[in-house]
Amino acid sequence: MGMPLQTAFVVVLVLISIILIGITIARPGITITRGGKILGFFVLFLLPILCASMGVSSEMERSKTTQFCLSCHTMELHGQSLHVDDPSYLAAAHYQNHRVPADEACYSCHTNYAMFGSFKAKMAGLRHVYVYYLTKPPAPEDIKLHEPYNNRECLHCHLGSRSFEQGAVHNADPDLLPAVKVNRMACISSGCHDTVHKVATLSKVKMWNPQP
Amino acid sequence: MKFSANPLERALQVSGILLIAGLLTEAVCLLRARPLSFVAFVSIGGTFLFLGIVTYLLAIISIKPETPGPEGSTGNR
Repeated sequence: MGMPLQTAFVVVLVLISIILIGITIARPGITITRGGKILGFFVLFLLPILCASMGVSSEMERSKTTQFCLSCHTMELHGQSLHVDDPSYLAAAHYQNHRVPADEACYSCHTNYAMFGSFKAKMAGLRHVYVYYLTKPPAPEDIKLHEPYNNRECLHCHLGSRSFEQGAVHNADPDLLPAVKVNRMACISSGCHDTVHKVATLSKVKMWNPQP
Repeated sequence: MKFSANPLERALQVSGILLIAGLLTEAVCLLRARPLSFVAFVSIGGTFLFLGIVTYLLAIISIKPETPGPEGSTGNR
């Protein structure tokens, strides 16, 4: 996969900034004049701030990509689980049918759709980096969520949708949907949609080949 | 590279070097979409950029510029 246009633009801007700063270092006397002072302010203050903020934005966007999440060896099996040829596998069904953007599949389900959710997801990601590089990472089948999966993340998309609101199973018990909506009954761990990644048995299941 | 004798210009040079270090780190990190690059971008690149900008700001507010010489600069070229 090539470099995204936004990232390429930031890299070019960074390189231009480096050249301009290099000129200022080599000839600091140019900052003596009024025009030079303005140039110095632009080159040594505004441009670095612009580069840093655009770089952070670019990195934030890239850290949402499926490719980024699966770049850690520990996540390989979770990545493979997106290709299971079985609609009962929740992650695979969402990924293959584009119920979540395929290039942001991990982030779409594992972010927190509340205030500062994206920030919290990034903080959790930093913890993953720490565990991956500085401790012994758990086996893929032993990886657990930090906290029980909140229905809020499912309802972010499914709330109000026809299949969710009017589905036969969801309406078989009149107490079910209200309980799900207030997170009293979990979508995932209540026994209804409990096959998510199931990486422990991945070698025994059939895989979907996206190429026809 | 030779540092200028003028304190303000020398501070600007130090600031520039820190900024270049930060920007180079940023550029290298942007070329690789890996979690470790993200961490290096924020910690190493961010620190250099912060120090560079702070050095620049401190220089322009705290160092009194010397009277320019006939060529417009008192520093070594």
